Amino acid sequence: MVSAETPIRIGIPRSILHYEFGGAIASFVERLGPTVVLSPETNDDIFRRGKRLVIDELCFPIKAFVGHVAALAETDVDRIFVPVVTSHESGRVFPCHPRTRLADIVRALRVCDAGRLLTPAVTFDANGLTRDGFLSVGRALGASDEEIGRALPAPTRAARATEAAIVGDDRPVIGIIGHPYLVADPWMNGSLVDRLEDLGCASLTGTDIGIPLSPDGTGLHFELAAHTLVAGRRLDGMQAVDGIVFLLAFNCGPDGDIAGHLARTIRKPLLTLVLDELQSPAGMLTRIEAFVDLIDRTSASRVAATGGCT
Amino acid sequence: MNHFTFSWGKNYIAVRGLLRVLGQDLVAPPAINTAMATKGIETAHPFLCFSGKLVLGQLRAQLEQGNRSMVFMSSLGPEACRCADTSEYLEGAFGEDFDGFSAHRIGGGSFGGALANLRSNFGPRIRKHDCFRAYAMFCGKVDLLFKIEKQCTALRCLSSEPQAVQALEEVALERVDRTNTMVGLWRVSRWFDRAAERLPRRSAPPSLRIGIVGGEHILSELDSVMARIKRLAEKGIYIDWRSGFRLLARSTPERLAPLKERCRDYLHDEPSTSEIFSCAHALEFAEEGYDGVLHVYAFGCMPQSALKPVLQRVAQDAGIPLLSLSIGDRFAEEGLENRLEAFVDLLTEKRASKRRIHTVHTAKGAA
Repeated sequence: MVSAETPIRIGIPRSILHYEFGGAIASFVERLGPTVVLSPETNDDIFRRGKRLVIDELCFPIKAFVGHVAALAETDVDRIFVPVVTSHESGRVFPCHPRTRLADIVRALRVCDAGRLLTPAVTFDANGLTRDGFLSVGRALGASDEEIGRALPAPTRAARATEAAIVGDDRPVIGIIGHPYLVADPWMNGSLVDRLEDLGCASLTGTDIGIPLSPDGTGLHFELAAHTLVAGRRLDGMQAVDGIVFLLAFNCGPDGDIAGHLARTIRKPLLTLVLDELQSPAGMLTRIEAFVDLIDRTSASRVAATGGCT
Repeated sequence: MNHFTFSWGKNYIAVRGLLRVLGQDLVAPPAINTAMATKGIETAHPFLCFSGKLVLGQLRAQLEQGNRSMVFMSSLGPEACRCADTSEYLEGAFGEDFDGFSAHRIGGGSFGGALANLRSNFGPRIRKHDCFRAYAMFCGKVDLLFKIEKQCTALRCLSSEPQAVQALEEVALERVDRTNTMVGLWRVSRWFDRAAERLPRRSAPPSLRIGIVGGEHILSELDSVMARIKRLAEKGIYIDWRSGFRLLARSTPERLAPLKERCRDYLHDEPSTSEIFSCAHALEFAEEGYDGVLHVYAFGCMPQSALKPVLQRVAQDAGIPLLSLSIGDRFAEEGLENRLEAFVDLLTEKRASKRRIHTVHTAKGAA
């Protein structure tokens, strides 16, 4: 398959798992030979397609995900990649149920012909897909273990550099916490990073400061809730960070469970933005502006107080 | 010492049995009512499942009565959902309002884990033997409670004296609660079988047969939601469900394998036990000629919400009517009654039209 003259075209939804694993699946598949076709960035049309198909009470990101698969189904891709995330290597934390059932949901909704779906079961660990996970993906594409071995990604250390860069930034710094597919998808988060930039703020995410996908030691059951919690605690403890925005998807059980805990324990100003299909850009902007105003005033009064003392 | 817990239907009786083996005791949880549900909704984050909100409301009501030491039965692992290791977060939710509140998890993914939990809660003197006896009592009582509930629901449809069935159920539950030996449980079980057999039967067969699948937490909520659903039995409708905490607790990969195989066309690798049960049992009900399937789950229940499209597909493929009842914050008894009535009407009409078609075919054949 890998050496075929016309490589097959593999569609990968630019949603949930794509962001969660930092695009690792797409790069890996490309290195194996097939042509990767990513669905377009999330937009109104994609979301509307998903929303029409998915039951109301499933969380906001699942609706977007199904929309991405529907968009790919209309293209000429040969196969559409919907991996089944099964379990964490440690056996102590778990992915949430809807994320483990993406393939079943897509298949049951008949978003596309079941024969076009590629649904290998993959395991993950703190850093993303495990070697076994990549093996499973590669084998689903018909690659040999040797080809898979050559295509495996190298570990990266980019996270710490970003943290170091932001520490020297004079602008107010806003920490952003939440599941990676909310933090990294501008449509889902209402272009939060750009809006903060426009308001003169820098931003820093859990991934930027090297928080693993599934940190250990929180006692939490769901791995991305643990990621949110640990990122929140770390950003709260960083002097350079002035405030934290918590992105919470509508009806997300795991992060809903810790929302109250975060509100009680985070000492810095915290803004919880619930993201749902009814969000209006104007309302979102107003809340972000109000939060940045609050941060500015808090910083100004702190400077004034410190100046008074010295 | 008297502890408290949430009810899980009548399963608190089994938790109490476990504690009594260890020299502890448990107060009976109050029946869940609207005020309690409201307390839970106010306490919980909006995205917590409705079952979780009912649990929090029931816990808060007991805290207001002065109880402080809570125990909760939970395993760890993929089956555990959100109740796993939540002590710290429960203490966060209630600790500020109720001085001295503590939450202790009993149960564990393995015998070693369960023993460690019992020792950390009740002292290092708990021996392996005590742990074994306590869990044997828990499992024995959970089994018997499941049997009593299931048979009594069936008898409400099959017997001509539903009030006698209710009386039998009450006495049986009391006996299970009082019994503290395995032999005693066996005797209660035998007594119950004989008493159930003596109840007079209706002459007419059930008018309809409805299978229930769904989230084990909401299926075990017997005070309001399931009480109304099971009342269908008194109208001569045979109600069956094949899931529950008993089966969740007893599931092993070997036992689940045939059910998982049955769901192969609908569920991919590694589904949770609750998902396997719901999908496999819906398929069983369809194959066994049941008239309809009720899918009951709490709004916000992640496994069951993710499963809903799958069950809709199962029902379409099998040609069996499916009613999904999502029970949430805005649950109203009248709304539930209306939907159930409409579903029963639809099933009755479907059965009648099938009979009419059969009669016409038979008549044509005879001609």
